[in-house]
Amino acid sequence: MKRITALLEALGSALLLAGKAFVSLPAAPRILKRVSEQGYLVGYTTLPIVAILCFFIGAVLALQAGITLRDFGAKQLIGTLVGESMARELGPVMVAILLAGRVGSAVTAELASMKVSGEIDALVTMNIPPARLLVLPRLLAVLLVMPLLTMMGNIIGWFGGAIVSAQVKMIGVPTEMYFQNLKQYLSVGDVMDGLIKAEIFGFVIMLIACTTGLRTRGGPREIGFAVTKSVVYSLIAILTLDYFITKALS
Amino acid sequence: MTNAQMSARVGLFFILGVALIWVTFEALTSGQVRRDRGYRLIAHFTNLKELKAGDEVRMAGVKVGTIAETRLASRQAEAVLLINPKVQIAQDSVATIAMAGLLGANYVSLDMGTVGSGFLQPENQIRTVDTPDLNAIVSQIGEIGKKIDGALSQFTGALNGGGKDGPGLLSKLDKLVDENSARIGQITSDLRDITNKVNTGQGTLGKLVNDTAAYDSLVAALGDIRGAATDAKTFITNTQGIIDQVKSGKGTLGTLIYDEEAARNIKVVSNNLRILSEKLTTGEGTLGKLINDDSLFKEAQGVMRKVDRAVDGLSDQGPITAVGVVAGALF
Repeated sequence: MKRITALLEALGSALLLAGKAFVSLPAAPRILKRVSEQGYLVGYTTLPIVAILCFFIGAVLALQAGITLRDFGAKQLIGTLVGESMARELGPVMVAILLAGRVGSAVTAELASMKVSGEIDALVTMNIPPARLLVLPRLLAVLLVMPLLTMMGNIIGWFGGAIVSAQVKMIGVPTEMYFQNLKQYLSVGDVMDGLIKAEIFGFVIMLIACTTGLRTRGGPREIGFAVTKSVVYSLIAILTLDYFITKALS
Repeated sequence: MTNAQMSARVGLFFILGVALIWVTFEALTSGQVRRDRGYRLIAHFTNLKELKAGDEVRMAGVKVGTIAETRLASRQAEAVLLINPKVQIAQDSVATIAMAGLLGANYVSLDMGTVGSGFLQPENQIRTVDTPDLNAIVSQIGEIGKKIDGALSQFTGALNGGGKDGPGLLSKLDKLVDENSARIGQITSDLRDITNKVNTGQGTLGKLVNDTAAYDSLVAALGDIRGAATDAKTFITNTQGIIDQVKSGKGTLGTLIYDEEAARNIKVVSNNLRILSEKLTTGEGTLGKLINDDSLFKEAQGVMRKVDRAVDGLSDQGPITAVGVVAGALF
């Protein structure tokens, strides 16, 4: 019961924080510099790890599926399989998991540290809402950057699959055929579904990270706990929401 | 890192991301994000099958456009074809939905049409022909299978019997063989004897089969028949020549049949003969009287009698002068 109450309290805090942040939306032009900083953190610095992960996800997908499809005499469909999988599911989910691990943890740690050291209280005292100064830039940044990051991840994953399909002799699907097949069956709607999913994931991850950080109480030890809690909650939220969003979009 | 450098990197990331999204959408929609390039033709089909926007339009296997849109229009499916402006489609060109593979990829295939029939203009309707759906073909094959199955069941039933129609064909055959086994044995034995005789050259059939003389006679007869046929051919050819000559009015017969002058002459001769005959009958003229009047005969008879007597007198009187003979005969 206590846990459920705590979960509901966390959920309510998160929603209130999001509400407070978006109420401050008219002040967005004044915080553009902060949005840019967060965009750099969320997008630019995350891109290399996203590229590496998505490339190998695409490659492994092509390798596994290619051998199975070859046995069924349908290896020419590998482009569709990798393309659809990356665009609709693996691209958004993998980028979201990376975001939760890399950016969400950092945000939670930063805000928890500020909370523990009393900086948040100082801001409140100065009548500067933390939701406007700390949360809104991060939410805007993640909403702007997440689709771009996911699209890059998708394309890198497609190329990873194409290289494996062409270079692994057991599969041997030429790159041209791979992309022709991908193009034939993949629609804009599929890609859009993936980007919508990524947008929701990014927003939820950042909200969980900010809420967890701002709700931290205690000392440095609690900062570590808050980071762990933030990442775990984010991963659970990603996988749970993934099911419902997929169902809603299909 | 300065603030400016950080902003530049964020800007670079943003531009790169937007560019990648644009390129992806462009590729997946076959350029439909841009303004439509080409002219539109409307094609009505009963069923578009797996055809969707972005699929290819091909003419003789060469891509000439794409499907811009698919929609329903007055109880029919309608596909809007976006044709490359460099390609002109003949007015009697026919569009069909073709399958690019067994897994459902479709495209619209256009035929060349005829030269000089004019070209379709933008927004014109192109003629279409609905091709059989794979599902329909499979369904038909299923129905054929059911019919074959039914026919085989009936055939098997007829063979085996057991139903309301009584014992089957095989049962009846079995019974027939059982009941007539002695006769069948006898017939078999007789047949064996006959074949043995034929093999050993006994009887007419055996000689016919084994003796080469029959064959030689047959060959000779055939030679005779062939000769007769040659003669008949010659005869027919000659007859044909005669008929041709007659038809062309040559020769007596030809003249008689085809020459109008000759016909008129014959008619005149016939008429004259009829008149002559009538005169002869009625005893007109010298000849008529000669035939009908016997007085001349009697006179001639009397003259002959007198001559006879005169001759007798001459033999009695001896030699006389020539003047005396003539005078005696006349008086």
